[in-house]
Amino acid sequence: MDAIFEHFAQAYNGQKGYGPDGYDLANTIRPQAPTDDPARFYNFLRSSNTYSIQTDLRYKLQYNPDLKLDKKEASAWIEVFTSFYKFVSVLLTAEEAQNAGRAKEADWSGVYEGWRDVVNSLYKGYQSNVFAAWTVPCLYVAGKYLRVFAIKADDKTASQRDSRLASRAIQEEDAFSPDSKHEKLEDAARQINRIFGLCISDRESRKWALYYTANLLFKTYFKLGSISLSKNILRSLRASTADMPPLSAYPNAHRVTFKYYCGVIHFLEEDYATAEEYLTEAYDECRIDMPGDGGARKKNMELILMYLIPTRLLTAHKLPTHQLLAPYPRLASLFNPISTSIRSANLSAFNAAMEAGEDEFVKRRIYLTLERGRDIILRNIFRKVFIAGGFEEAKEGGGPATRRTRVPVREFAAALQMAGAEVGDGDGGVDGDEVECLIANAIYKKLMKGYIARERGIVVLSKAGAFPGTGI
Amino acid sequence: MSGAAQGNQNMTQAVVSDSKDGSKPMQPQKPAAQLEEDDEFEDFPVEEWAKEEEVGAQGPTTHLWEESWDDDDTSDDFSVQLKEELKKMESQRKS
Repeated sequence: MDAIFEHFAQAYNGQKGYGPDGYDLANTIRPQAPTDDPARFYNFLRSSNTYSIQTDLRYKLQYNPDLKLDKKEASAWIEVFTSFYKFVSVLLTAEEAQNAGRAKEADWSGVYEGWRDVVNSLYKGYQSNVFAAWTVPCLYVAGKYLRVFAIKADDKTASQRDSRLASRAIQEEDAFSPDSKHEKLEDAARQINRIFGLCISDRESRKWALYYTANLLFKTYFKLGSISLSKNILRSLRASTADMPPLSAYPNAHRVTFKYYCGVIHFLEEDYATAEEYLTEAYDECRIDMPGDGGARKKNMELILMYLIPTRLLTAHKLPTHQLLAPYPRLASLFNPISTSIRSANLSAFNAAMEAGEDEFVKRRIYLTLERGRDIILRNIFRKVFIAGGFEEAKEGGGPATRRTRVPVREFAAALQMAGAEVGDGDGGVDGDEVECLIANAIYKKLMKGYIARERGIVVLSKAGAFPGTGI
Repeated sequence: MSGAAQGNQNMTQAVVSDSKDGSKPMQPQKPAAQLEEDDEFEDFPVEEWAKEEEVGAQGPTTHLWEESWDDDDTSDDFSVQLKEELKKMESQRKS
């Protein structure tokens, strides 16, 4: 038992010359034994028992000469560690079962519930304003593992249900009842939402956990597939900004994560301009590669780009260079073929690239946005026709040569066929209406300036900037 | 949580089997845990970093994005082929 509370006192009193260390304090309740003390939980468990744990804790926390906690705060921590003691016992039993190949016996639901009790004790400490602002990383750990254990518990339940089904070979309707699929995760969302409520109603200590908790909620709601609940969180944040420190006052990690989720939420809402702002900021504010960072930074940047690429395609008609994607082989294999096909106005290559990435694009919900790259390809095809048309003979008296702006529809039709557009009339010829429709569409979307003179079968393009933003 | 946590991830997939008559194929259960954990934004290894350490502080990034059209190079395959096609169309019309 001593190891935990030596650690606790050390974090609480701070290293020589430094103040108390909230992150280190949070490590004392992290449900993962420290690497330099792997037996910590076993020792903790063996050092007491459920009958005397409270008394034992009183000696460690309230009467500990190294710690000067007032009575109220000591009681609150005793509550926390009493729950933690019970939790550790359930956790170790589950881990042992899992390690010994008896995964079926591992009670992850029990682990989740045990952890929820720990979180609840912490919650009370903050609710009654007993815990100081610097201890707030404890709330990060609390929320983070609520999610982790809830997901584990739900997976376990799902696999049990599956094996029951498989052995019976007959399906029963109720086994698929969707409401039980994420039972624990839904509960975790409610618990984290309570913590969020605690943070947002506070002007003192807990407010510093505000964005961390909001991010956890986004993560959880995304997993539950409920984007609308994420929007509720944004709404409450907007309503309370006057009382809260600005986002810039929060740790970088919280800021970047928050901007990523805001970006994705706006992306899914098809508000691409706002999405671009958030995602660009998230990307720019990421930390550069540092030795020993692990894979998290790179993975996060990859996720940001996953949404930033389709967003930029729509807002600015820009594509990522191979250089940008070089550090991310997965993104490169998904997006380089798309970019190349768009730039070279190759519809069949675009179709192939969309099909190759379909599963991933659908899973990320970017498929439909990328589909709109098709408009850009059509624009590029029409643009090539315009360029191929060359220049008008200079008028008498000289002046700069101008491009031929009256282009026959049949030339567009030929180019479309070459690029693999489906404009055939099913009889070896071209469906002229379809071609005109594609042209009209490009004009409507402001990708091309001009009009169709139907009776003459020509497209009259604007002399100044027929293809806005593309230099001609 | 030790290494114990892993190792069970393919379980859901392993127990899936098709229903007897094959007319109602069972929904394939995705090995959710692994795939979706992989999907998520992760906690950064550190909470705070200096402005100079930010990606955006390393210089302009505009060169990492390119225009969505090809340069006005009329020698690419498509343009060459297009020109030929248009020439052919023209001569057919005249004849």
